[in-house]
Amino acid sequence: MKNPTYSIGVLAIISLPLVGCAQSGGEPTAGRTAWGDPDISGAYAEFTTAPLERNAALGDKEFFTAEEHAEFAKGRLEQQFDADETEPGTAADVHYSMGQFALSENEGVTSLNLRTSIVTQPKNGRIPPLTEAAVARRDARAAARRGKEFDGPEMRSLTERCIIWSSTQPPILPRGYNSNLQIFQSPGYVVVQGEMGDPRVIPTDGRPLPDNLLPQWNGTSVGRWEGETFVIETAGFHPDSAWRNASENMHVTERITRLDEDTLEYAFTVVDPDTWAEPWGGTYPLTELDGLLYEYACTEGNYGMANILSGARVGEQKAAQQ
Amino acid sequence: MRLTTLVILCGACILPAAVARAHHAFATEFDVNRPVTLEGKVTKVELINPHSWIHIEVVGDDGKAVTWMIEGGSPNALVRRGITKNSIPVGSELVIRGYGTRDGSNKAVGRDMTFADGRALFFGGTQTPGDAAPPQ
Amino acid sequence: MKTAAALTVVLLVAATAQSQVRSEIPRASNGRPDLSGVWQTLNTAHWNLEPHVSDYPVVLELGAQFAVPPGQGVVVGGAIPYLPDARAERDRRFANRVAEDPEGKCYLGGVPRSTYMPYPFQILQNERDVVIAYQFATGFRRIFVDGTDEAPLDSWMGWSNGRWDGDTFIVEVTGLNGLTWLDRAGNYASGSARITERYTPLGPNHMTYEATIDDATVFSQPWTIRMPLYRIVDEDFRMLEFKCEPYAEEKIYGHLRKPGTGPSAGASSQ
Repeated sequence: MKNPTYSIGVLAIISLPLVGCAQSGGEPTAGRTAWGDPDISGAYAEFTTAPLERNAALGDKEFFTAEEHAEFAKGRLEQQFDADETEPGTAADVHYSMGQFALSENEGVTSLNLRTSIVTQPKNGRIPPLTEAAVARRDARAAARRGKEFDGPEMRSLTERCIIWSSTQPPILPRGYNSNLQIFQSPGYVVVQGEMGDPRVIPTDGRPLPDNLLPQWNGTSVGRWEGETFVIETAGFHPDSAWRNASENMHVTERITRLDEDTLEYAFTVVDPDTWAEPWGGTYPLTELDGLLYEYACTEGNYGMANILSGARVGEQKAAQQ
Repeated sequence: MRLTTLVILCGACILPAAVARAHHAFATEFDVNRPVTLEGKVTKVELINPHSWIHIEVVGDDGKAVTWMIEGGSPNALVRRGITKNSIPVGSELVIRGYGTRDGSNKAVGRDMTFADGRALFFGGTQTPGDAAPPQ
Repeated sequence: MKTAAALTVVLLVAATAQSQVRSEIPRASNGRPDLSGVWQTLNTAHWNLEPHVSDYPVVLELGAQFAVPPGQGVVVGGAIPYLPDARAERDRRFANRVAEDPEGKCYLGGVPRSTYMPYPFQILQNERDVVIAYQFATGFRRIFVDGTDEAPLDSWMGWSNGRWDGDTFIVEVTGLNGLTWLDRAGNYASGSARITERYTPLGPNHMTYEATIDDATVFSQPWTIRMPLYRIVDEDFRMLEFKCEPYAEEKIYGHLRKPGTGPSAGASSQ
């Protein structure tokens, strides 16, 4: 497709009610694996037009009309293309060209989602405010780093350290690029892996979460089938994870349901009274990806960390000489 | 009950607002006050994560050859489009506009990278600095 | 006649025992062995594939806890058939193993090393794919059953195409980047290597694992390692996460740290 402007090449509208919840126990929407579980396997693009949080001006409006959405999506497109056209000599220009690496385009397939936001709970489509305790924890972390941000590798973010990309741990959220997921199934297990994340091997037998949860970056996950929906419960997060300022007591529920042969629905709920006074959550579609996911060996290629630290050392030496 | 989804195939699609954020902030690694323009021959191509690195040999005015490493993006989307390890042959001549690392070494982020004849590195179109032409 | 009868009885008993073993192998719905489960090796191959006596720890002050235990070796035929220059390179790597062994940097173990690292791995199987999740550094492989595509790009865990031959699952691995080692003793292969693995169940809780390494740039001929895999049968076993990236940071980046500072755990956030 050579046309660089936004155009609707092919529209496939599935005429069904615009309600986003998947019913459990309803008519089968998926084929079956050889051992009889609903088949949710495949490679999927997480990318969707809905932003994580709803524009506050929209209030409780959950869905755009098709016309409103076309306008909204077009506006976002224009905004994003500007991101790759930065003025030489400005700090904003210091990056590689996303377009060159096919990263200004989400694999050519984007699920156009009439929702005004991924977040659906609470009703205003926005993540609830942090509790005082969460604000205090956040501020303490920032204070501990202040003035020391380049002292050593442990002062850098978890993504810079190649420990974990936050949006690949549960709940999984779309991100700027490589925003893809693959799902494998075998009797008794579902494996969920984000392209820049770790494989999560999740049992399907409905066992409860273990009593002795050892903290892990991806938490510990257990799963069960509720009709057509695979439900995953995850808890036991690493205390340094602080996903969106969450505490290590965060509990995430994910619900994955096949909607049709190209689409899954991914819904999630986050419960962490130490961080948010009310549970919150959302939903977005996963669209079949035409292609494979490839290895993302991060720490092995992390020249960037060395460059950041050596640059800071040179800067300190220069400052000392003045 | 189903979500209505419109599946669109388009030549240029949408990114969330965090588009410019890679696994790290570039301004901490590279120096806006150290712009570079380099021409050189490819000696090594590392199509790796979290960032690709292309090594080129630049011959200075003094006739001496110096190796530079140029940072690019994650290769995974490229591979989905048919790019392979052989797509940038060793010995190809490249032109790079970018910014050098803060530590003063021979490394830079490739803000714009083309073959010496103006062809885009990966998809054959012609790119000029600031041009965000989508892959074909 | 009695002897013939006795012999027949012996043969029948042997055949029954054999088929009992075969019938004890868990099978998938398509009749093939089901390799699913958590497995681990019980040997010292991760220290050294070749026969080796016990040895000092690489850092003396660590003492006996980190000394190298002895091992009979897992190489069929005993020694790895290095080309002369390659053997010298292996010896150089051994001498520099503290600095250079990628395992110490929490780099992925590649194939076949990931199999015999002293950590569990989980195999999951359906008709199209067999996937393996390794505990160390959350390594992961997808094996395309009856796959024929070639690797578009080199990677740490390689590109795996598998097929069944009777009860043996054969995996051809190419597209390795040549940056992994084969063990902690400096043994290595290059990015030109083709690895052929063979997984053959022996019974419900044991498999034979073989890997043939074919790399004419390093070895004078292909060679094979062979070892049992043992099923983890612990009750309620969960393969816990071993993301070793933070533990390798001081090793990799410590020389770039601000003078006068030391590593402080838990200071970062996302």
